Amino acid sequence: MALSEKDVRGIAEYAKIALTEDELTEMTAYLNDAVQMLEPILQYDLPDVEPTFHPIGSLSNVMGDDALEPERDLALDVALSNAGSSRERYFRVPSILGEGSEE
Amino acid sequence: MNIDQLSAARIAAGVAAGDFTATEVAKASLDAIEAREGGVQAFLQVSPELALDAAAKIDADRAAGKPLPPLAGVPLAIKDNMNLVGTRTTCASRMLEGYESVYTATCVERMLAAGCLPMGKANMDEFAFGSSTESSAFHRTNNPWDTERVPGGSSGGSAASVAAGEVALALGSDTGGSIRQPASLCGVVGMKPTYGAVSRYGVVAFGSSLDQVGPFGRSVEDVALAMNALVAAGHDPYDCTSQDCPVDFLEHLNDPIEGKRVGVIPAFMEAEGLTPEVRSAVESAAKKLEEQGAELVEVDLPHLDAAISAYYVIGPAEAFSNLARFDGIRYGYQEEGCANLNDQSSLSRAHGFGAEAKRRQLLGAYLLSSGVYDKYYYAAQKARTLITRDYDAAYEKVDTILMPSSPRTAFKFGELSDPTQMYLSDMYTISLNICGNGGISVPLGLGADSGLPVSAQLVGPAFKDRQLLTFARAIERGFADAATGAPALSVAPDFAGKGGEL
Amino acid sequence: MKKLSEVLEDWEAVIGLEIHTELTALDTKMFCNCRLSHDDEPNANVCPVCLGLPGALPVPNKRAIESIVMAGLATNCEIQKHSMFYRKHYFYPDMAKNFQTTQGPVAFAMYGHLDLEVTGQGAAERPDCAFGAEQADSLASASAGAEGLSTSMTATMREGNQRAGHLASYDASNMQMPERRADGSYTVPIRILRIHMEEDAAKMVHVGGAEGRITAAAESLVDYNRCGTPLIELVTEPDLRTPEEARLFMEKLRQTFLTLGISDCSMEKGSMRCDGNVSLRRRGSTKLGTKTEMKNLNSFKSLHDALEYEICRQAEVLEEGGIIYQETRHWEPSRRRTVVMRVKETADDYRLFPDPDLAPFDLTDEFIEAARAQIPELPDAKRDRYMADFGLKSADAAQLAGDPAVAAFFEEAVAGVDAKAVATVGNVMVNLAPSYDALTPAQVASISALLAADAITFAQAREVLDLVNGTDKDPEKVVDEKGMRQVTDTGALEPIVDEVLGRCTDQVQQYRDGNKKVLGFLVGQCMKAAKGSGNPKLFNQLLAQKLG
Repeated sequence: MALSEKDVRGIAEYAKIALTEDELTEMTAYLNDAVQMLEPILQYDLPDVEPTFHPIGSLSNVMGDDALEPERDLALDVALSNAGSSRERYFRVPSILGEGSEE
Repeated sequence: MNIDQLSAARIAAGVAAGDFTATEVAKASLDAIEAREGGVQAFLQVSPELALDAAAKIDADRAAGKPLPPLAGVPLAIKDNMNLVGTRTTCASRMLEGYESVYTATCVERMLAAGCLPMGKANMDEFAFGSSTESSAFHRTNNPWDTERVPGGSSGGSAASVAAGEVALALGSDTGGSIRQPASLCGVVGMKPTYGAVSRYGVVAFGSSLDQVGPFGRSVEDVALAMNALVAAGHDPYDCTSQDCPVDFLEHLNDPIEGKRVGVIPAFMEAEGLTPEVRSAVESAAKKLEEQGAELVEVDLPHLDAAISAYYVIGPAEAFSNLARFDGIRYGYQEEGCANLNDQSSLSRAHGFGAEAKRRQLLGAYLLSSGVYDKYYYAAQKARTLITRDYDAAYEKVDTILMPSSPRTAFKFGELSDPTQMYLSDMYTISLNICGNGGISVPLGLGADSGLPVSAQLVGPAFKDRQLLTFARAIERGFADAATGAPALSVAPDFAGKGGEL
Repeated sequence: MKKLSEVLEDWEAVIGLEIHTELTALDTKMFCNCRLSHDDEPNANVCPVCLGLPGALPVPNKRAIESIVMAGLATNCEIQKHSMFYRKHYFYPDMAKNFQTTQGPVAFAMYGHLDLEVTGQGAAERPDCAFGAEQADSLASASAGAEGLSTSMTATMREGNQRAGHLASYDASNMQMPERRADGSYTVPIRILRIHMEEDAAKMVHVGGAEGRITAAAESLVDYNRCGTPLIELVTEPDLRTPEEARLFMEKLRQTFLTLGISDCSMEKGSMRCDGNVSLRRRGSTKLGTKTEMKNLNSFKSLHDALEYEICRQAEVLEEGGIIYQETRHWEPSRRRTVVMRVKETADDYRLFPDPDLAPFDLTDEFIEAARAQIPELPDAKRDRYMADFGLKSADAAQLAGDPAVAAFFEEAVAGVDAKAVATVGNVMVNLAPSYDALTPAQVASISALLAADAITFAQAREVLDLVNGTDKDPEKVVDEKGMRQVTDTGALEPIVDEVLGRCTDQVQQYRDGNKKVLGFLVGQCMKAAKGSGNPKLFNQLLAQKLG
């Protein structure tokens, strides 16, 4: 089943990647090619094979102690240093339900 | 004496012996970078201050009579997806163009603890999506053997910096072949250790269950030294998947391979897309191993066809998830003047990411969506089981498997413009990321037709990376210069000796 | 709108709860070593992991896993040895990675229950409707939705669906209507589908809009201190039928978690938060109606009142022929109403998949048993012990056993009195002590001993406690100093009784004719004659004896 431009627009909206009309066309073609390339994988969904979620098969129960590590904390100025927009001690985002918003 | 003639082992020995100081090495390396960067463009950022500071500290330690670490004074290039305080970590993306690292990756920290000098951050495909370094948002990196050709990728800058003699060692990351393929195209040794051998903490994630950090060097011995440094401190408590490994990569390097069994896969040597020069070079590598007493055994990996499609399910799914955090709020490119959050996020991501990064994320978002996930993701994870079993069965019969690293030598810029065609560059490397096992690419010399570096890949069972280095060393020995014992390839001739006088 | 009692005559309300509890007793966050913030300055406790910086990796907090196993065992859940963490993706600034690390179809704890004792008015509200097979089906799909997993995912995710192994008693088709006791009270098991481990989100401050609400805010500010705080989410089956049951469930759960010592369970501070969903169906029907989800039920009162309002609102809409939309509604305590937050047209697609950065869990028996060993006596067991050992009434025993601090206080006080004063300690703890903020167990023991010996009246006990609260004074000494001690020697009281009976012949006659109320008058006369120093209880006994 091929993906339509409408499908791809929905995926892009979900993934928060704005696409121009040209990009949408190109992306739709790409996704259909890519999904086509993946078709062979479907034959491996075999009932008697367990999926491997992790390349280290025996790995389990890895946990750390409930212990403070103050040297790892980031000072406020460092924490905010890469933010495009901040205010006082906070990261700042524009209006969530603002102008032109669909939600 | 030129810095590019010295191996990492020789530099560390020289610094320790007082033949030259670490500061002199740092300056020579900076000089070589200065002279060669115009031609190779391997770096996104050179960090002279960090390098000189590290060198000064080593020199001071030596003056104070303190013991020096094993890689004291060795110039190191670091792939730009690895955090290092004092540098930007851009992942070659507009998204992170101004991103200043606020902490240091474990793998980098360990190399620095071993005495390496951080010369700078190496170019790469954006967020490691690619096999040519062409998707870097900032500039291309040229293959030192032919500057009209790609260095491979995604760790293209790391491989090229070593091949051009700017540094002795480099760190790369390998998600589907991103160390082994550029190593092959640039004629250097590149190793992807077993998943879990090296901590991923601080390395910007692409595919969390596939990514693995590893070293580049101009000799197997240098790569072994770097492996020791990467695993010396054991399990990293900040990475649940990191494992304790024995630190014995160097001591068994020259063990004889007599009586060992080397697997070859006939179907691999007949594969479509494999060029005759690479095929014959790999065949001659097999002969060299045989000459040293190894036995060649044919093995079969029946489910290997599934590897590429499994990879393009798991990789994009994990990439979508890992790259979701780049929304322009806490860090990264932020679109100006947006009236609401949705616009800001969507436009920051649209304009911060390049085309391939967007393609992979949207493919991942699609593959993880309700209904689709069940079809593809489980099938891919089951294929993973089957591929792992195939390898396990093969290793019942053989100690290692020999195959090409890349089906062909370096291609020209723009030659592979179709993204799905580009994906086939990784046909020999991808399956190891699927099953997590280690692999290493070793140069065999220049191709008979192209005159460009050709390489062989050796792959082995999980956490038997040490043995892989022994076989790699045997191949290196087999192709070495009869008179000097030097590896088949050294610094690319167009760059050798430019700047870098020590 | 009709009143709840009227609505529930015609309709059955089907209620489920989702309760989030922060593990505030821990020192550090779920996946990093940052300090858990309580009242810290914004963004004071952040590191590369909880800020979601590129390259950072999570490591699960062992104490958090132990805590959720304890929570599961204490709520009669089956501990699932094998489970994984998943990534649940949604783009919102309160999640630094734009995904929340949470659990998938299999949670650490599943298929448990808590038994609710419902009495009085609350008990009268529950309609007697039976569960049926159809009910079981509809509840199963309601549960799937409550997990936040898409239905297709729960149906096909192969990690999950291990229900075959769980207890038959968990199966709705085996469930019976709770049997009522003579006074109408009943005990009903409320099933717990799952308790899973996840991480809390950052706090957002909305600036520029009215009342700090998100609507019309000019900008929002994000504080990541709370981001990554260990959070356990409990999802009940839709087994609750009245707002009172919902309130009782929440109360009981809070008591249980407080006793475990895993959280301060403060609804006020937001360390325990509750969402409720409710749908209506005609009494006797087994088909579920469309449910609405209520947010912001952040006190016991809000939980009760919002459900009450919503049940009445839905009934009104349905009775007028309208339709209930599946939507999320916000409770406004000041206006006592729920308002629409958003309409759910389609199921959210969170793109869940197993987190490759975290190892799967295969909890060992040792790990589970070590967690079990840390569980103190739970409220129900404690209540039963208080009833058996101290002769307390069920309600009183439950009240004392519910709060671990109160229970510890009570037990210390009880240890300081003779056997005959034990029940009095319970009485004092339930009826007197709650009005004081700074009593010591020794003071409660002392006052209880005085009361048990009839040395003071209940009213005098209050007077004494007013004096000793917040001090280290011994109530017994205060009583003696103030000369409050009652005459408890019956020999001294008898002449007074005889004197009163001798002069109040009319009242005596009335009593003998069957007007027992007149006894109060006679006690009063005795008290007056004794100038307040006689014990009214003893006068009462003596009068009753003599009037025989």
